[in-house]
Amino acid sequence: MNIGLVAVRNLGRNKLRTVLTMVGVSVAIVTFILLRTVLSAWTVAADHAAKDRVGTRHKVSFIMTLPKRYLQEIREIPGVKSAAGANWFGGKDPKHDSEFFASFAVDPKQYLEVYDEIVVPEDQRESWFGNRQGAVVGDALAKKLGWKVGDRVTLLGTIFPGDWEFVISGIYTASRKSVDRSSFMFHYDYFNDSPQAAAANARDQIGWVVSRIDDPGRAAEISQAIDARFDERDIQTLSMSERAMNTSFIGMISAVLKAVDAVSLVILAIMVLILGNTVAMGVRERTHEYGVLRAIGFLPKHLAVFVLGEAVAVSVAGGVLGIMIAYPFVQEGVGRYLEENMGAFFPFFRIDPVTVVWAMVLAALLGVVAAALPAYNASRLNVIDALRRVG
Amino acid sequence: MSGTSAVVEREVATSSAQAIVQAIKVRKVYLRGKEELTVLQDLDLTIREGAFEALMGPSGSGKSTLLNLIAGLDRPTSGTMQVAGADVGTLPERTRAKWRSQNIGFIFQTYNMMPVLTALENVELPLLLASLSSKERRERAKTALSIVGLSERMDHYPRELSGGQEQRVAIARAIVTDPKLIVADEPTGDLDRKSADEILKLLERLNQEFNKTIIMVTHDPAAAERAKKVHHLDKGALL
Repeated sequence: MNIGLVAVRNLGRNKLRTVLTMVGVSVAIVTFILLRTVLSAWTVAADHAAKDRVGTRHKVSFIMTLPKRYLQEIREIPGVKSAAGANWFGGKDPKHDSEFFASFAVDPKQYLEVYDEIVVPEDQRESWFGNRQGAVVGDALAKKLGWKVGDRVTLLGTIFPGDWEFVISGIYTASRKSVDRSSFMFHYDYFNDSPQAAAANARDQIGWVVSRIDDPGRAAEISQAIDARFDERDIQTLSMSERAMNTSFIGMISAVLKAVDAVSLVILAIMVLILGNTVAMGVRERTHEYGVLRAIGFLPKHLAVFVLGEAVAVSVAGGVLGIMIAYPFVQEGVGRYLEENMGAFFPFFRIDPVTVVWAMVLAALLGVVAAALPAYNASRLNVIDALRRVG
Repeated sequence: MSGTSAVVEREVATSSAQAIVQAIKVRKVYLRGKEELTVLQDLDLTIREGAFEALMGPSGSGKSTLLNLIAGLDRPTSGTMQVAGADVGTLPERTRAKWRSQNIGFIFQTYNMMPVLTALENVELPLLLASLSSKERRERAKTALSIVGLSERMDHYPRELSGGQEQRVAIARAIVTDPKLIVADEPTGDLDRKSADEILKLLERLNQEFNKTIIMVTHDPAAAERAKKVHHLDKGALL
């Protein structure tokens, strides 16, 4: 037996209170882990962006298009190995009206060359290349909507109105976790030759260009070269590394992310107050007992250890419980659901081990901060006054 | 040697023994707001090693205050309180706490066991402050429990013990550090007569067999009768 062990044994004094406090801490830790995972999921695309890719868009806004001929000119710029254009389509499945997924028109060969982390089985790839109405979809989207290779599907165009007929030529998976496995990609030519594209003045226009470069260290230099090429044209471009492009997108929602960040800490601060009140209540109830301990020779610092030890033990136990709840909840529940249903926003929604370490550190810190004032008060007790206190 | 002659011999020895408590002109004044309340006034008291003495008096007479001063829980406002070779009134708080852990055994009216610890662990508690190995601590705690006759209950929690048994565990906790002086504040106040008698017999035994000096505050005349000497206090003065 030692003083620390006595502090831990004190947790058994009021089991219901201990259990409720532990559950409270665990709920705070689960919430913290969940919100932190939201933050890391938002930034995962930037963190895992390919270093050898450069994105180019309209200088004014990413919703404005570029002439298709720019694609060929970009390919001619020294350092660019290959380039692919893409157009946002904005289709939805009329059978699943509320399901959102990204859909865009691409040149299949060029696109898969630039995005080599998109994995399509060889036979499906060939099938897609040879079928003008062919499309490939992410495995998460196919699972959610019940699509199989060979299925004929109809999408409703939201930007380019009408029913669009497709054949599912392939289902892709991803070799990198930043890839959205819920996208729908089809032939640019099928889109470009459509009357809807003509009606919307979108014929021979592309939304953006992604280039593969030969030296990741020259991403900034090549980006400048691309933009310089179109500097004197009517339509100018803005190029940046894929990472910078993803980061700039995150920058647009930085206020939301900061709010989420703040909420995760506010929840812990609230838990500090609740735990602090519980610890203070325990100290008040045991004032007489602390008087006895002081009488038989225990020092103020020993009483502080009793109080702090108990609070840290309960908060660490709550932290461990929280992590045990958060793992299956996020990894098997929320995370899987978000990846399958909101893959465009959360392509990889899994708990980062660093978050778990932080959760444990904060759980322990929560106990220390919550118990600091009650421990100080306990250590300042006057022995005679404490012995006189009943109950 | 017969039992009676042994007791007589010890009483003779006590009367000639060194003083373990010597209070000289001890005065204790409390402040109640702006008003001064004199609880002990210029009190002189000498208690010799091996004594078993009781302090009696009405409520507010100052007996608990005197006990607290003797035990080093409080300091006199003026005067000297020499206990077990130390001028306890002048010791700094930290030193006084260490002094208490080595020289004083406490017995309280309400036992004051830690409910989450077994009888053995409760007795072991004061030894956490001593430089002893875990094994030594347990052995000493077991010995103390055997002295009070509770070896077979060492693994029981306080809620599993009767009041008398809890008080015996408290006595074991008081003697486990082998203190020179045991102070008992109403040790039988919460007990029925039978249990109170057992506790008083145990205190007598500690005094006679182990030569522990015992100072006991009590309201109970039957308990005071067991002491070798009774001091009566009233309005902060010894009668």
